[in-house]
Amino acid sequence: MKTITIDPITRLEGHGKISIFLDEQGDVANAYLQIPELRGFERFAQGRRAEDMPQITSRICGVCPVAHHFAATKALDAAFNVEPTSTAKKLRELMYCGYIIYDHILHFYYLGGPDFVVGPDAPPAKRNVLGVIEKAGLEIGKEVIKHRAYGQKITGILGGKATHPVCGLPGGVSKGLNKDEVKEIEKMGKSCVEFAKFSLKLFDDIVLKNKDYLDLILSDAYTLATYNMGLVDKNNKVNFYDGKIRVTDQKGKEHVKFDVKDYYKKIAEHVEEWSYIKFTYLKDIGWKGFKDGKDSGIYRVGPLGRLNAAEGMATPLADKEYKRFYETLGGKAVNTTLAFHWARLIELLYATERAMELIKDPEITSTKIRNPVGEPGEGIGVVEAARGTLIHHYKLDKNGLVDKANLIVATTNNAGAINMSVRDVAKGIIKKGKVNDGLLNMVEMAFRAYDPCFACATHTLPGGMPLEVNIYDKNKKLYKTLRRNL
Amino acid sequence: MKTVVLGVGNPILSDDGVGIHVANQLKQKINDPNIAIDEALTGGMNLLDLLLGYDKAIIIDAVKIDDGEEGEVKRIPLSNFSTMHSCNPHDVSLTEAIQMAEKLGETRIPKEIIIIGITMKKLPCEFGEKLSEKIATAVPKAVELTLNEIKN
Repeated sequence: MKTITIDPITRLEGHGKISIFLDEQGDVANAYLQIPELRGFERFAQGRRAEDMPQITSRICGVCPVAHHFAATKALDAAFNVEPTSTAKKLRELMYCGYIIYDHILHFYYLGGPDFVVGPDAPPAKRNVLGVIEKAGLEIGKEVIKHRAYGQKITGILGGKATHPVCGLPGGVSKGLNKDEVKEIEKMGKSCVEFAKFSLKLFDDIVLKNKDYLDLILSDAYTLATYNMGLVDKNNKVNFYDGKIRVTDQKGKEHVKFDVKDYYKKIAEHVEEWSYIKFTYLKDIGWKGFKDGKDSGIYRVGPLGRLNAAEGMATPLADKEYKRFYETLGGKAVNTTLAFHWARLIELLYATERAMELIKDPEITSTKIRNPVGEPGEGIGVVEAARGTLIHHYKLDKNGLVDKANLIVATTNNAGAINMSVRDVAKGIIKKGKVNDGLLNMVEMAFRAYDPCFACATHTLPGGMPLEVNIYDKNKKLYKTLRRNL
Repeated sequence: MKTVVLGVGNPILSDDGVGIHVANQLKQKINDPNIAIDEALTGGMNLLDLLLGYDKAIIIDAVKIDDGEEGEVKRIPLSNFSTMHSCNPHDVSLTEAIQMAEKLGETRIPKEIIIIGITMKKLPCEFGEKLSEKIATAVPKAVELTLNEIKN
């Protein structure tokens, strides 16, 4: 591959910028998605009080505050050498289920779903949540809003604040549940189970029963046979909050299973000169460039990665769906990128069922919610953020202040795969220098499936996510630019 | 009339947090039961939740521009906002959230939504709690403009 140098300034842009490079024939040689990376966290964290990290890190990203909050809290459990009480673990997991519920609902109905419900070829003005409501009906729109709010309410009751929780402490949580709150959560949880079941049926009716969509899902352009990674419980079932990290190969066989404290022995980071993102890969396999297959160390995380890395779901209804998923899509592993959407809905069902199990557990109202901490040291914590495995690592000094901090976020774990997905779709669409107008959306569908978090600010300014695709000819001269929302 | 003033941004992402710096100063200058001042580290749907039930909303946030001066303060009605954007791929925009809510019969959306925007050319990507010199000088201007907006 010829060396491609992109002015470092362009690396800082706060939006997804895609560069596509053509070869002599005008076909795609390579494509890159530039994801802005926030910098300077280690320096920012240095010298701060360890107990502040769960609050501080929940502000890193407007998208996954709850995931950062608990990855940090679990790292502090380890750093202060304390095991949280059984009730504290259950409260944390219950809150985590609330987060998965609202996050996955938002993605399916607002972001990923419109491509399928309204159609991938529909004009952008229609291909949004309003288009979904137009097609599915106002009543469904109300249900979407209601259940997303339930997920947030559950998180809020347990976490103090839905968007930026304050409950996680090393050794436990700061707040327990009373009987009234249990009743309230139970009522909402029950309704969420039904809504998750409905969502899967909707996916069935609209997507799986449509041959065109099924063909699109199974097409080569959207297929990537990488390794898969996710947290599993002791029975190798998907778990969001706790367990071991399991990696499976392209056929779904276990490659390695490890405790998060060994992550740096298993995961390494590769640097490319055109991106601030570090691309993670499996150390024992090695970095072989942007390739899939068993000789390349690239892996995927997130809903599809988790389902592939596990052997089932720990709740009955979700497990049934899990089996159907593999029966329908041709066995393990499912390597088609658009199956992320289906996997996400199966996880939504699991999160609702798991929330119900936890809220019915008699121990959930116990007041034993915190164990005393030990001496400060070093700790590593892991959770499954909605979009994939998230690791926090802190070294504390003897006064309990942060000396060193390192984070591996979900989208970094997926960065290699996202780039390949974008490249493969571009290859299928651009032939002999001819650029199809549907390119923007097809490319966007490829990376949207991963639900990436571009680690950017919480900016609110209206407008959809901006996207710019620059296409360069064989001499690296700009050949064409496609833009939206810029 | 009930008004909500929201400083929006990320307080640990240097200039991105400018809206929150402005809101904190306003808290010291305003003491009126009909005016709520808060900070929001969020956008889209979550932001809309914070606006519901008020007659008027004033949102203070960084606005990305390609040309022009950084650190300027501008008053922009939400309806004029089609060229600005959020950079968060996991949420809808505030405009989209409002359209959706309207369609579903939400009656508590403020009649007037005004953005007090502080212009920036680059979105901050470096962690820090302090504002750059240029953006810091915009804070008193934004405070002033917001106070005027409340009076009107």
